[in-house]
Amino acid sequence: MKMMKMNMKFAAFLLMTALASFGAGVARADDPLDAATQARIDRFEKGPAKVDVSKYPQGIQDNYDVFQQKCSQCHKLSRPINSDYALPDEWSRYVKRMMHKPGSGIDSTDGKKIYEFLVYDSSVRKKAMVDDKLAKLGADDRAADEAKIKEVHDKYDNQ
Amino acid sequence: MRDELDGTPKNETDPPAAYTPVPVWIFVLTLVLLFLGAVYFDTYGAWFDKQVYAPYESAEELALYQPKSGEAAMLAHGQSVYENVCGLCHGTDGLGKTGQAPPLAGSEWVVKDVASLAHVPLTGLNGPIQVKGQDWNLAMAPMGAGLSDADLSAVLSYIRTSWGNQGSAVSADEIKAVRAALGGSGPSAEELAKMTPVERGHAVFRKYGCFQCHGQDGKGGVSNFNAKTAEQVPSLIYVADGYTKNELIAFISRGERNIPRKNPAGPEPPHFMPKWGPVISPNELSDLADFLFSLKPKGENLGF
Repeated sequence: MKMMKMNMKFAAFLLMTALASFGAGVARADDPLDAATQARIDRFEKGPAKVDVSKYPQGIQDNYDVFQQKCSQCHKLSRPINSDYALPDEWSRYVKRMMHKPGSGIDSTDGKKIYEFLVYDSSVRKKAMVDDKLAKLGADDRAADEAKIKEVHDKYDNQ
Repeated sequence: MRDELDGTPKNETDPPAAYTPVPVWIFVLTLVLLFLGAVYFDTYGAWFDKQVYAPYESAEELALYQPKSGEAAMLAHGQSVYENVCGLCHGTDGLGKTGQAPPLAGSEWVVKDVASLAHVPLTGLNGPIQVKGQDWNLAMAPMGAGLSDADLSAVLSYIRTSWGNQGSAVSADEIKAVRAALGGSGPSAEELAKMTPVERGHAVFRKYGCFQCHGQDGKGGVSNFNAKTAEQVPSLIYVADGYTKNELIAFISRGERNIPRKNPAGPEPPHFMPKWGPVISPNELSDLADFLFSLKPKGENLGF
């Protein structure tokens, strides 16, 4: 009899699992217009919204404050923090694209600080991604990106 | 010892008269099968979609999907062009969108003479207009400037004969005549061939009325109520900083239907970026991107 009871529990668990997998399918049936972009943003925004900057140089920590204040005006911070942008070339374009939006309130000084934070942070926290992306570039582009990462580190590491 | 009735050997260790536990692996297997079944259903089962399991409700509906000829084919083509190019603002039901686009269903402008109707998609429409007794004051880009005579006549025919509109069909020749009458606005093929990509892109910028919202010199500033971008249509002069050529072409093709709002509870901003992919040709898009890149002020360097 004891055995029978346990099997009932097991059966209930089984039923719930089956229902859950069914439910998951129903939930994703309703797709928005630009599904690929939305899915990409959703994926980024699921990640953490903070970076542990306690081990970064003071200058980069200051830039992180600017980043937090300016970028959260329009979108969640988890979006850039967990995005698949990692190279200086990518961050430079992305930051400029955002700062040129009317009313962004980001001038070129702040834009540069945000860019430096993102490049520094990527070179530490997303090192594997940076290396992977660098390896796929042509020699000239790779040298240019590497130089830009080095430039940010040289500026802040020995403050 | 032998059984007293049939004489077969009696098992000394009879199994106890109790429940036998069902092996766990049967449950695991059922679970796995259920899961695979659910995955299979999710992938191939179409979720009881009407279009798969009961696509047609009547013989008439089925007849609707048969290959068409003559005017019916032309109208069907017009509908597909309409839904790709016009429907984004004017709605697939022709009812328009409050604050963004006037209705076409029942509009007195739609059933007017062909020339004044065709003027709208060919040259765009800027400023006040009264439709069905209501005032509108917006800007429409010349969304039909890049369509062929056949496409434009089909879409106008569709609009004039749909949603209760009682207009006549429009022929490709009529559109050709309207274009000829407008004529001389754009450069000829020979002139285009002699131009640089930037000059050709400038012609594209004018042809599709980009200036209506982004300004003659691309500096933006046209008001867009409740848009998060300082209630303005963005300037284009810095796109060279923010986009690669491919990214820019992809953005223009895709457009941006939903403009973030300054006040989330406020109305939808009147202007948004149309989906230009079905309208502007790939060569024109490439020239347009070159032109936009050329707008960047010389000597400005952000230092990163």
